Amino acid sequence: MLKKGDGIILLAVVILAVIGFALIKVFSANGNTVTVKEDNKIVYKGSLYENTQIKLEGNTVDISDGYAKMLNADCKNQICVKHKQISKNGESIICLPNRVIVQIN
Amino acid sequence: MSAKQSDSTNKLTAKKLCLYGILTALCIVFGYLESLVSLDFIAPGVKLGLSNAVALLLITKKDLKGAFAVNIARILLCALLFGSPVSLAFSLAGGIASVIFTFLLSKIKYVSVIGLSIAGGVIHNIFQLFVAMIIVGVGAVFYVPVLCITGAVSGALIGIFCSVLLNKLNLLK
Repeated sequence: MLKKGDGIILLAVVILAVIGFALIKVFSANGNTVTVKEDNKIVYKGSLYENTQIKLEGNTVDISDGYAKMLNADCKNQICVKHKQISKNGESIICLPNRVIVQIN
Repeated sequence: MSAKQSDSTNKLTAKKLCLYGILTALCIVFGYLESLVSLDFIAPGVKLGLSNAVALLLITKKDLKGAFAVNIARILLCALLFGSPVSLAFSLAGGIASVIFTFLLSKIKYVSVIGLSIAGGVIHNIFQLFVAMIIVGVGAVFYVPVLCITGAVSGALIGIFCSVLLNKLNLLK
């Protein structure tokens, strides 16, 4: 059922995944600023340690004690609300339906 | 059989048209079933992609046109019925790229259906990531490992499913 080429494909996929993991590890130092974008326009930029809540059209972003998270969203799937809170450099919470991005850098 | 085969790959016969219709309908049923079962606990937006089995079967039967036709009809109809413009962009990118790539790979005889399916699954996810990067920016790159693994696992499952089916079916003979 399996042939030689399958092993190569599997190996390529594993390598790709490992490189991805390695990149995440390298860049995952704790960040300190939060950028909130809506429709690719920056609507908020501030320290991760400055406790605040940012109200957007459909979303509320909460920043407290070095963590950022999406408090609520008016979209159907609620993926961004279920996303774990973020603190590390490069991490982001994305709400696709409302085109909102919360990013640490 | 070879004469009949070459005939059937070049001409759109009524029989093939019927087959494509039936397969598209089957894909939509798969799409509906998958929209009912949420696998979001694994990673947001993860799906098994049962309808890709149909495209994969057609590709292994060297019917690229058929695979394209069924896949694109399926994507458009599924987006219309259960999706949104955003999900349409994601599906189209993934669907077209994976069909082309899988077809090219099927030319290599050292690759089995399962390998084709794994490659197709991963390519599908990577191209969806490109769309995500266009929409939300380069930060989406952090999703690569998750996409590789989920793509490979769902691809393997679909591939096993297909290789079992291929032994039982006389599709397009």
